[in-house]
Amino acid sequence: MRVRDLVRAEYKLVYAEMIRRKSELVLLILYPYVFTGFILLVGSGVGSPRVFEERVGVNPALFLITAGFAVMALMICIDDILWRPIWEAWIGTLPYVFASPVNKLLLFSVMPLPRASLVVLIGSTSLIPLYAYQHGLAGIPLALLVVLLVVVGVFTMIPLSILTSGLLHAFGESWRAVNIVRPLVIVLLGVYYPRFYMPLVARLLSYALPSSHVVESIQRILLGLVDELTVLLLAAGVLLALLYTPASRKSLLLWEKRKVREGVKTS
Amino acid sequence: MSRAIEVRGLVKRYRVKKRQGLFKSSVEVVEALRGVSFTVDYGEVVGLLGPNGAGKTTTIKILATLLLPDEGEAYVAGYNVVKEPGEVRKRTGLMLTVERGFYGKLTGRENLEYFAALYGLDREYADKRIGHLMRLLELDRLGGDYKLFEEFSLGMRARLSLARALLSDAPVLLLDEPTLGLDPPSARRIRELVERLAREERKAVLYTTHNMFEAEIVCDRILLINRGQVVASGSPRELKDRLPRLKVLTLVLRGGSREKLQSAMRDLGLKYEVSEESDLYSIRVHVKKPEEVFSEVAKRLISSGFDLVSARVEEPTLEDVFIYFSEGSL
Repeated sequence: MRVRDLVRAEYKLVYAEMIRRKSELVLLILYPYVFTGFILLVGSGVGSPRVFEERVGVNPALFLITAGFAVMALMICIDDILWRPIWEAWIGTLPYVFASPVNKLLLFSVMPLPRASLVVLIGSTSLIPLYAYQHGLAGIPLALLVVLLVVVGVFTMIPLSILTSGLLHAFGESWRAVNIVRPLVIVLLGVYYPRFYMPLVARLLSYALPSSHVVESIQRILLGLVDELTVLLLAAGVLLALLYTPASRKSLLLWEKRKVREGVKTS
Repeated sequence: MSRAIEVRGLVKRYRVKKRQGLFKSSVEVVEALRGVSFTVDYGEVVGLLGPNGAGKTTTIKILATLLLPDEGEAYVAGYNVVKEPGEVRKRTGLMLTVERGFYGKLTGRENLEYFAALYGLDREYADKRIGHLMRLLELDRLGGDYKLFEEFSLGMRARLSLARALLSDAPVLLLDEPTLGLDPPSARRIRELVERLAREERKAVLYTTHNMFEAEIVCDRILLINRGQVVASGSPRELKDRLPRLKVLTLVLRGGSREKLQSAMRDLGLKYEVSEESDLYSIRVHVKKPEEVFSEVAKRLISSGFDLVSARVEEPTLEDVFIYFSEGSL
């Protein structure tokens, strides 16, 4: 199994879908701005940008655009892994994926890379000017650091996304469950609603998401708090992701086993 | 070398929900396969024939590792489909429904490149193999290099589907109704290719179809499956020979009357049917050896005042075999 060829094949598949289906590309570019605009609109209805800065300690535009960028990259990773089996079943390719000797864990791990890398690339072009405007030249390395951390966040989210995907798709009508899990994850990542404001149960659930630690470390950097805790949070995210990896493999096996037991639909 | 496919006593049960109104339901267990056994050798095309719901696709799915059997064993290229699915997948080329199963926004070639990556084929080898298959199935001529799959005709889709099955050069091919819905030239192209693959490349082919004509010309051996059991197997010739009545001698006559015809035939003690159209009578005589009775029947009818317009012998078709073994009578 050649990893490079599989990655290349995934890039071609996903980019062909995006470039030959223009609406998807336009939506991908517009989504973080629309989302940020919506949050700003709601936020300004509740209080002024000055109040936000006083309470959170960061410029709201900087915070929300960074948050929009992070949430977009992370959700793309989650979406690609969670929705892909449903899409494959819908277009009829799932039996052929099952019947091929491909390592499913590897396949699922490379699935989010094409869209996530595009989002990171597009997102960084919007972050760098904003950070430079806010912090001067020093803002450029800061923006690059945030981009790098978001990339780490994407990678740490892959094993848990696979674990969730395997578990959800092992049972019928998984798309309903995906629709419930998705918004919950957006909240629990703590991107828009920082974890320290969450109720205890939500906070505990949030700790289980590897990327939420990366998100918190980004927020700490934005607040100017670069200390051991920031590094520890990053390490916790990576460690959790590693811990989830064997379980994600088992979850894919469970999915495959259940599908094969009831019969992979071929028509 | 072991057999290409070996199936022993396969049993598969499905739990079917029987709904009784909105809230009540009961579960019924349906046996899709009830002890199916057969073998396929390398270089052989074996047709799996049977009415809808007979268990053909269930058998293909089990062999393709897409479904677990409840009982029995199945081996593909010597590997157990339940215990060694990975090895089986490396040695199997699969073709299921032809109209879908590809990525719509990729061209034919790009689709094959994607599946080549799933099969772990070396890029250089994959490029050569895809080029070869595109030429072999005339997909290059039909625009498979630049047309998106969603723009493909059904015939092109079938060719692409077969190309995917052949991509990894697997020794065993599982083809589920590969010509379903195709126009005659496309269907013929697929059939010719399947025959060639078995003869020249010694591939083992398990081929399901409803098309009796197709089964007769493509398959070396036929397995008739009905209600989850193999009810008959053999070459098309052997299966026809097993029918209780073998041939139909049809004579077209002019002149005389129906009464005269019946009177002439009465003494011969043959089973026959008569139909009438304008001034012609058509008499169908069911016999084992028409050549032995033809002269006597013709002589008798001519002496009764009939003119013999034409005579022909009809062989039983595979369709007759199919109906006989699936419904128990003709």
